[in-house]
Amino acid sequence: MKRITFSIGGVHPQDAKFAKDRPIEDLPLPKTLFVSMAQHLGAPAKPVVAVGDHVLTGQVIAEPGGFISAFVHSPATGTVKSIAPRADLAGRPVPHIEIEVDAEEQWAPGIDTTPDLITAIPEDRQMMLDRIKACGVVGLGGATFPTHVKLNPAPGSPAAEALLINGSECEPFLTSDYRLMLESPREIIVGAAIMQKILGGPRCYICIEDNKPEAIRVMRATLAELGYGNMVVQPLMKKYPQGGEKQLTQAVMRREVGSGALPISVGAVVQNVTTAFAVYEAVQKNKPLLTNILTITGDCLPVEAQHNYRFRIGMPFSYIVSYAGGIPEKAAKIVSGGPMMGRAIANLEASTVKGSSAILYLSESTTARWTETACIRCGRCSEACPMGLEPFLLNRLYKAGLTDELEKNAVQDCIECGCCLYSCPAGIPLLDNVRQAKLQVMGIMRARAAAAKAAAEAAAAKAAETPKQ
Amino acid sequence: MSSTLVWTIVILAGLGLALALLLYLVAQKFKVWEDPRVEKVEAELPGANCGGCGYAGCHDFAVTSCAASDLSKHYCPVGGDPVMQKVAAILGYEVEKKAPMVAVLRCNGSCEVRPRTNTFQGAQSCRHKAWLYAGDTGCAFGCLGCGDCVQECKFGALSMDPVTGLPVVDESKCTACGACVKACPRQLIELRAKGPRGIREYVACRNTDRGPVARKACSNACIGCGLCLKACEHDAITVENNLAYIDFTKCKLCRKCEAACPTGAIHGVNFPKPLVK
Repeated sequence: MKRITFSIGGVHPQDAKFAKDRPIEDLPLPKTLFVSMAQHLGAPAKPVVAVGDHVLTGQVIAEPGGFISAFVHSPATGTVKSIAPRADLAGRPVPHIEIEVDAEEQWAPGIDTTPDLITAIPEDRQMMLDRIKACGVVGLGGATFPTHVKLNPAPGSPAAEALLINGSECEPFLTSDYRLMLESPREIIVGAAIMQKILGGPRCYICIEDNKPEAIRVMRATLAELGYGNMVVQPLMKKYPQGGEKQLTQAVMRREVGSGALPISVGAVVQNVTTAFAVYEAVQKNKPLLTNILTITGDCLPVEAQHNYRFRIGMPFSYIVSYAGGIPEKAAKIVSGGPMMGRAIANLEASTVKGSSAILYLSESTTARWTETACIRCGRCSEACPMGLEPFLLNRLYKAGLTDELEKNAVQDCIECGCCLYSCPAGIPLLDNVRQAKLQVMGIMRARAAAAKAAAEAAAAKAAETPKQ
Repeated sequence: MSSTLVWTIVILAGLGLALALLLYLVAQKFKVWEDPRVEKVEAELPGANCGGCGYAGCHDFAVTSCAASDLSKHYCPVGGDPVMQKVAAILGYEVEKKAPMVAVLRCNGSCEVRPRTNTFQGAQSCRHKAWLYAGDTGCAFGCLGCGDCVQECKFGALSMDPVTGLPVVDESKCTACGACVKACPRQLIELRAKGPRGIREYVACRNTDRGPVARKACSNACIGCGLCLKACEHDAITVENNLAYIDFTKCKLCRKCEAACPTGAIHGVNFPKPLVK
């Protein structure tokens, strides 16, 4: 069979899935949890509990702060100690709810905590969407976009023709999706079938890169066992950034998502395997999103010390680090997420959020930046860019401050995957500069859109006034 | 032979005259009238094209000032009052006198007092750093030390001090054009009145964290204790969000606040005598 992948750009970093044979372990609860109110894309959630309240596991503690926002639930049984700003990963203050954990766990009523598999899918589409919303499910592939919004496309957008369940896990080191596919394949497939039903029955592809043959085998066997129709496991050639939703859409459907558009514009909806698992738990068990899987790995950590943990949201990184045996001596940088798109952890006291996927220890030699030398126009960055941009040009335009030219060269389409920086032989901080340029251009575009909207409203108000005279 | 010479002269002279006439007519037809005062005004301006006045450059300043009905929206911070007096004389307008300004850094978190908590590896630019995270010290408000302001300064008035890790303003070169104010992603640079003989008093901090948090991150931070507020007899100090601010239009330079400050966040510069506490 032909190996398929996306056609523009991409790089092949070292696989480094050292933790792939480590089964998922449950982390015990610490004494205190700090639950962030900004765990998802969009407006921060608003707390609905007060200091001193007793909360049960799975009870709502914060409600959405806007249309694109999500519910947050208590990850443990305990007492609310404080609601105050606390430094996040980057060291910036974000409102957190501090919960002092009780010795005995008690789940909120209405939550099914049994491990039994429920394969019968409800008929009521709206009920399923409401449950996904009420359980605070967000996209766990990294962007943490609220899932109920993505599964309910705005009126007027094209019908979904394909549901892509993203199990490609293209980032090096990360193995959490892989372990979940091996250990809970049934739940993932039922979750996928639920999303398929919500979207009106498009063809469902479970996309897995072929560096994970075991996952492909297990998912195929489970699919045959459960017997859902119109669903296939689609192996993909390993290439980074395959898991980007535009790249995955192009790889599987051979349709390119236009500049500034979403995959739904070509009839695709992309959801991560972990999201499928969370959707299963939300719809079939009414269980809110309280846990996720996190890989502790790195190039300076022996394989015995690497783990895949199921953590509760709100556990401080420092707690997980010390539980796993502390920071290895050679670690020069601790990253939350993968080595390509993850962020360095500036504040280890920060707490985990719904989208946390890894704690990565990198040694000095892996993380050190090269000395910047002159661009020799070799074009490697343009070859590597999966969005078909020219990073070397964008870099020059950024330095010259030419925002109009940057916009013409589609800097706003950058997905910040880091392929340009990875491939540059001159050590130029391409990603840093392109990202800054993108921020500037997107700021200008937003200001322009706001001005156009204000002008249109003023014109409409004027038009409404004229007939009176 | 001679007739050839005569004809040559006649034809060339005629051609020259005809083309000159054509050129004259075209020039008249497409003439762009420019206020003769623009050139005079531009000659008086410093010609730095820094954009500190808010216009695209000195020429743009001259054109717009000649078209304006008064000089209320025009002030050249580089030239200051002497230049503005000359411009006003050319245009026949009145101009308000303004006190000379100078750029002031509102952070005194030097390497010594503000310990580093991590090392930043990315591209060395304050803009990148400010977007990515709270910075490589415990203070999320202080100077990031990559020198974006130094790069923006067209007058060579800013330089990084390698010992403190903070930018230093050379008062003799600073023209108060405001380029550094725009360049700083943390809004740490403020244009303040230069003061008599350069004497001025200001709070060199922008940390709005609660006192203990601010103090832990930087021992020179303003902790919002309000002692300066009590010490001030001229109602020049306000304390908001755990941060003091001295209004330079009200400050009488008595130095009582500076003496009262427990952390040394209030700076007095160019005073002839050192402060006696």
